[in-house]
Amino acid sequence: MSNIPKADELFKSIDYTPPVTGWMETPVDFSPGHWCYPAKPEKIEYMESKLPGLWGPARQWLPSDADWKLPPNWKETVVNGFRERLKKFRTLQLFMDICVRCGACADKCHYFIGSGDPKNMPVLRAELMRSVYRGEFTLAGKILSKLTGSRVMEEHVLKEWFIYFYQCTQCRRCSLFCPYGIDTAEMTMMARELMHLVGLNTNWIMEPVSNCNITGNHLGIQPHAFKDIVDFMVDDIEEVTGRRVKAPLNEKGHEILFITPSGDVFADPGIYTFMGYLLLFDYLDLDYTMSTYASEGGNFGSFTNNEVMKKLNAKMYAEANRLGCKWILGGECGHMWRVVHQYMDTMNGDTQGPQMTTPKSPITGTVFDTAAATKMLHIVEFTADLIKHGKLNLDPSRNDHLRVTFHDSCNPARGMGLLDEPRYVLKHVCNHFFEMPPQTTREQTFCCAGGSGLNTDEIMEIRLRGGLPRGNALRYVQEKHGVNLMACICAIDRATLIPLADYWAPGVTISGTHELVANALVLEEGEVRKMDMRQEPLPGVEDEDDDWTPPNMEEA
Amino acid sequence: MTFESQLAERKAELAEKWADLVLRTYPKETQKVWGRQKDRFQNPVGATIIETTRELMDLILEWADAEGIARSLDKLIRIRSVQDFSPSQALSFVFLLKKLLRDEFFQPMKAEGGLEELMRFEAKVDNLAMMSFDIYTKSREMIYRMRVDEVKRAQSSLLRKAGLVADVAVDSSAD
Repeated sequence: MSNIPKADELFKSIDYTPPVTGWMETPVDFSPGHWCYPAKPEKIEYMESKLPGLWGPARQWLPSDADWKLPPNWKETVVNGFRERLKKFRTLQLFMDICVRCGACADKCHYFIGSGDPKNMPVLRAELMRSVYRGEFTLAGKILSKLTGSRVMEEHVLKEWFIYFYQCTQCRRCSLFCPYGIDTAEMTMMARELMHLVGLNTNWIMEPVSNCNITGNHLGIQPHAFKDIVDFMVDDIEEVTGRRVKAPLNEKGHEILFITPSGDVFADPGIYTFMGYLLLFDYLDLDYTMSTYASEGGNFGSFTNNEVMKKLNAKMYAEANRLGCKWILGGECGHMWRVVHQYMDTMNGDTQGPQMTTPKSPITGTVFDTAAATKMLHIVEFTADLIKHGKLNLDPSRNDHLRVTFHDSCNPARGMGLLDEPRYVLKHVCNHFFEMPPQTTREQTFCCAGGSGLNTDEIMEIRLRGGLPRGNALRYVQEKHGVNLMACICAIDRATLIPLADYWAPGVTISGTHELVANALVLEEGEVRKMDMRQEPLPGVEDEDDDWTPPNMEEA
Repeated sequence: MTFESQLAERKAELAEKWADLVLRTYPKETQKVWGRQKDRFQNPVGATIIETTRELMDLILEWADAEGIARSLDKLIRIRSVQDFSPSQALSFVFLLKKLLRDEFFQPMKAEGGLEELMRFEAKVDNLAMMSFDIYTKSREMIYRMRVDEVKRAQSSLLRKAGLVADVAVDSSAD
């Protein structure tokens, strides 16, 4: 018996103790899974040819390599870029100075809540930048570096920025709790701008950016292919509803230009939401067109730098002007609305053509004054207004097999206050609607953990732990109310919430809001549907025609 | 008094101590915040640690419901398998129960000559560890599968356009 090892001896071989160094000295792990792949050099070369001076040297490099092949003058470039932005953006200077480190934000970030990594506390993540600000730009910081927690820009500091400013989805939940209203998202934006100057970037963001600059959308789809894909969906809508809908592209002289994220056109399950838009517009006989150039509402420029954000956004007004549209209707997207609501007027408002007017619903006559500045209206406001005025014949029982909850996407919820309209729509198209707990919805909503260009599979673990707070609330309503579908109004959500739900609340599917509208929309009096937009038979409907046998099952 | 009934008398206290050891596998700053925030929606990891250690303590004492044990382990392992832990760190929480039991009972039981009882009970903890390996591996496999599925979904329309997916329902080939 005396041979039994002592408790402490037994555990010597198991490394379960956390690092004992202070948070700032704890070394960063650069092994794969902790970062997104850097941009392909040709993407950077292309962007350099279009917007010179913002990208640093195009090169092959990996964050797991010791040498990141930074340009020789990288330190000067970053410090000068920092100084320039402090002057240019008063918010940045204010946010650098004003934080009193009260800690109100510390446990508000989904990445911190899921990971327990102190550098994911917003106050400390921002401190990675603020410490350099003090060390480089303030007198006290220069003299009393240790005492004021200041440090100068060194390579390991920059490398740490790369890891942690790509673990912020710019969701702004922390800002909600900050007594000073410090917008951490804007700090992340600035840190990313500075890193771009020395060629630290990610392909998940830069490839869509460069594609957008060429063809207008993230995947680089050209007009003819775009049309083919839309035609497929027109066929599918006919299969489900028997109705052949119009899908006008690049037609001049219509009142409305419709712009939605391309994820709705290319990615499952966004396509069902896209079919929902087409069906709704056809039902209304709406005077609209889409554009194969403004074929992307998303703007990964907003995850890159303000120059690209402005350039990519410009196509919205350019196409409205070219096609002679009076106003723009925008689809279900997250960061597109942050850009439109918060930056578009400042960036490109002066390019609005004289033909553009404040959005007015041609069906109800409602004038949307809230969109007077940008001339761009959110489709959920448009649809909620239609329902309010009794313009849609809806049969919510077609969604009776669904027990629905709603995920507030950070940008429309916190970024533009779109809280009640989506709920109003959902409650009219579904009979079973349940809210997740209040500390996880509306303004306090938890991020999907895939926003701001982080929705890539190589960091799946980071996304899943960041998605824990949302998944945990979802699991709760799944267990309590039998929820089996989470609706949202964001294309990145529609992609990233699927693995999140599969992992944290298996059995819950994800859909856009207008997919459910399309299910419920009664096109003609007495219309009977046998299947939903996904071509799955509605409960109680037997598929009589299903006598098909897979070829390899047929008898020889 | 059996060892089990001895444990049962102190189970709330032991569960709490075990939870505390698990919490200490996270950095110091985090322990402070997670120790303070009691809302299970704002602090799901902290809440899950407390909930599962409590549940498991009951279930081990009962030793009758293998599925219940697996369900409870799954809640915590699902979290720790996506956190920044090595596999051994992720599952260390099971062995921390062993550490706790030895810290609490080894000396007195040695003095009383009852170490066999402790060892017999530890076999149950070893069983937990083996179940945990399976659950951890299942979680990791799920993550890899989700990565592949996601890539396929992201370009579903393009694959269809390129004719790279066979849509058997609309097959019009002659064969």
